[in-house]
Amino acid sequence: MKEFNIVLAGVGGQGTLLAAEILGTAALKEGLNVRVSEIHGMAQRGGAVVSTIRIGEKVLATTVLEGQADVLLGFEPLETLRNLRFASEKTLVVMSDERIPPTELSAKKMKYPSMEEVLAKINRFTKNVIIIDTTELAKEAGNIITRNIVLLGALAATGKMPVKMESLKEALSELVPAKHLNMNVKAFELGYACVRKSPSLR
Amino acid sequence: MPDLRVLLKDKLGERVLLLGNEAIARGILEAGIGIVTTYPGTPASEIGDSISEIAAEAGLYMEYSTNEIVAVEVAAGAANCGVRALTAMKHVGLNVASDMVMTLAYVGVRGGFVIVSADDPECYSSQNEQDNRFYALLSNLPCLEPSNSQEAKDMTVSAIEISEKLELPVILRTTTRVSHTRGPVVYGGLTKPRLKGEFVKDLDHVKRLVMVPAYSRPKHDVFLKKVEKAKEISETSPYNRVVREGKSGKLGVISSSSAYNYAVEAADLLGLDASILKLGMTHPLPEKMIGKFLKKHEKIVVVEELEPFLEMQIKSIAKDYAPNVEIYGKTKKSYFTRTGELSTRTVLIGLANIVGKELPIDFSKIDAKYADAAKELPHRPPILCAGCPHRASFYVIKKVAGEKAVYPTDIGCYALGIAPPLNVGDILVCMGASVGTAQGISKATSSDTVAIIGDSTFFHAGIPGLVNAVYNDHKVVIAVLDNLTTAMTGHQPHPGTGLTGMQTRSEKLLIEKVAEGCGVKYVKVVDPFNVKEAETVLKGALQHSGPSVVVFRAPCALMVVRDKRRRGAELAVCKITDKCTDCMACIKLLGCPALVVEDGKVGINEVLCVACGLCASVCPYDAIKCGETG
Repeated sequence: MKEFNIVLAGVGGQGTLLAAEILGTAALKEGLNVRVSEIHGMAQRGGAVVSTIRIGEKVLATTVLEGQADVLLGFEPLETLRNLRFASEKTLVVMSDERIPPTELSAKKMKYPSMEEVLAKINRFTKNVIIIDTTELAKEAGNIITRNIVLLGALAATGKMPVKMESLKEALSELVPAKHLNMNVKAFELGYACVRKSPSLR
Repeated sequence: MPDLRVLLKDKLGERVLLLGNEAIARGILEAGIGIVTTYPGTPASEIGDSISEIAAEAGLYMEYSTNEIVAVEVAAGAANCGVRALTAMKHVGLNVASDMVMTLAYVGVRGGFVIVSADDPECYSSQNEQDNRFYALLSNLPCLEPSNSQEAKDMTVSAIEISEKLELPVILRTTTRVSHTRGPVVYGGLTKPRLKGEFVKDLDHVKRLVMVPAYSRPKHDVFLKKVEKAKEISETSPYNRVVREGKSGKLGVISSSSAYNYAVEAADLLGLDASILKLGMTHPLPEKMIGKFLKKHEKIVVVEELEPFLEMQIKSIAKDYAPNVEIYGKTKKSYFTRTGELSTRTVLIGLANIVGKELPIDFSKIDAKYADAAKELPHRPPILCAGCPHRASFYVIKKVAGEKAVYPTDIGCYALGIAPPLNVGDILVCMGASVGTAQGISKATSSDTVAIIGDSTFFHAGIPGLVNAVYNDHKVVIAVLDNLTTAMTGHQPHPGTGLTGMQTRSEKLLIEKVAEGCGVKYVKVVDPFNVKEAETVLKGALQHSGPSVVVFRAPCALMVVRDKRRRGAELAVCKITDKCTDCMACIKLLGCPALVVEDGKVGINEVLCVACGLCASVCPYDAIKCGETG
């Protein structure tokens, strides 16, 4: 592996930071060199947020070059579109269908694009797209706030990650609060199973 | 969020994934620092926050000081008793602290003292993107610049060593990408912090420490001799080194901080045959080392973020060592941007232009494809959270004081009040400036002037302005939006919260009592969600002849939700009933992210709604019911 780049795109409050940290920690557990970029402060307040993870021996910079993402993990459809510049035909997009309309939409009486429109735009970059109903699965796990972990489970199931399942699960158990561990493990497994049981998604 | 006790592990050689700021916190423990002070500010906040979590267990003292200059004063006092100290702040915090820092350079320290300045290229969460390496040049204090988490930790320890060797404070300058990037850190051993020292009253301590003209004049000379010693340290510092020797010796790259990461990756992508000199101690510069590097090469490229700080000095070194070497960077012709942050892409393009090579990636093709896909993509700027009490305050302020009033605003979440439909905030400069600028605007116009300032910002820099308003009788309303925390930076305590950095209790300072103590005659406290009462109180303030203070007090919505989650309490939401006529009043007046419109119908996003009830109180048809569990 020369290098492996993941871009996480979402809305402040969706748990992209925790997801990025779990992925980074899993890579570290396997002795890999890794960089995880985060955005804190003002940008977090309900705004568009991006985290990047780069894994590889020679990796120094924390941000990903345009067109060089191996995985685009989209926590929200519009935010996935906003970060398509990192995608190419080789990129795997794993995306939640949780739609969070920006206030600008209501103010300007614009419509949130349909999933078909979103998918068509992603397809101009890559045909490898998996869409997950994260909010439904998270509710099934016990709380909607675990939707970020559902998405991680789905990503793990694709087999694309250069880290083992055990490392991901270990990182998860270290980083979520102990009293919510079971719920998070369940969320991870529901996301995982969702991709596994549907061959078309793999 | 990891359990920060991982920072306390006494395990030499342990490899841990740490944020740059957490790595500095680990460095604090390895260096045996006994006192840590800070005022929170992005991107520096997690340094203090990490230490606050573990200070009691680690056996050191930590405080959130009222502002940055006080933070430096407290730490410098301790350092002059021989206790090792560190103060962390964001770049603009150093402007506040600079009066102390400039002369502390003359006074010096006995225990090591590190001043961390976290700069914010790209203004991710700041009002400007000043390059604080110039503070090192201005104050002549040594400066270290890490490029990753490992160096952030190691340099914290080294900065203490250098500080004690020279008896000078040392600046540790990070940027957002260093402070907010996680990377592997290999632990060194821990040093037990020493909390108590001694204030030595010997024969000449007054000459050393009291900077009256007669004593500061000779101290300037003493200081410059220390700077000479610092130069020697810089020449042999392991942080200044040639990391790669080119084969042909034609091209040399000099870089520091995160720019170094981009420079190496860009050089590799281009397949350049280049030597690379990495600088980690960037003030004073290792003049001889750089001179030797310049002599060995025909072309030199300086890659650095923001100002041409290194480049200007390297050009002057070249005059003495290698007058014919060609130097490329930002000064003569700009190959790299001076605004915003760099990236591997921008450095790649700059390098390719300098050496005349083709780009290995066709960015214009990607850009065109992206521009097409992202066409008509709605913006998603940061906004006030659902349930934010500031939204209620702004609604009231706007309704009472109107469109024509002038609203100087300040640093904090409430700066987001400028977004439509609230549109409150007409001038914003720096911490506390709302109070002062309001007075000038009020004097120079006949407009109603309402200064908007937060609770933490009020304590930080609002009080001197308030005293001025009282004494010089300026007719201004000072609206203190008190959400009982320092919200924007991550809910740190401040003097109004009753909590300390050691996570112990302290007596709250009440903003209304401070205002009364300063001599303000009209001081009122209101709950902004009690819209009617808040309106009446604000009307009274506007009619008052002199300065008035209205404290809009309600806790930050994020704290309320977190607290409920922790207690396992049911989270209520608002419901739209069939009385709703879709008149859009709530949408047009509030801009709450939990209020959504789909197919012309108003709805509630139940994930975001926290049942604050503001929409219900502005609804003309009484069509929203709040407090039911969802």
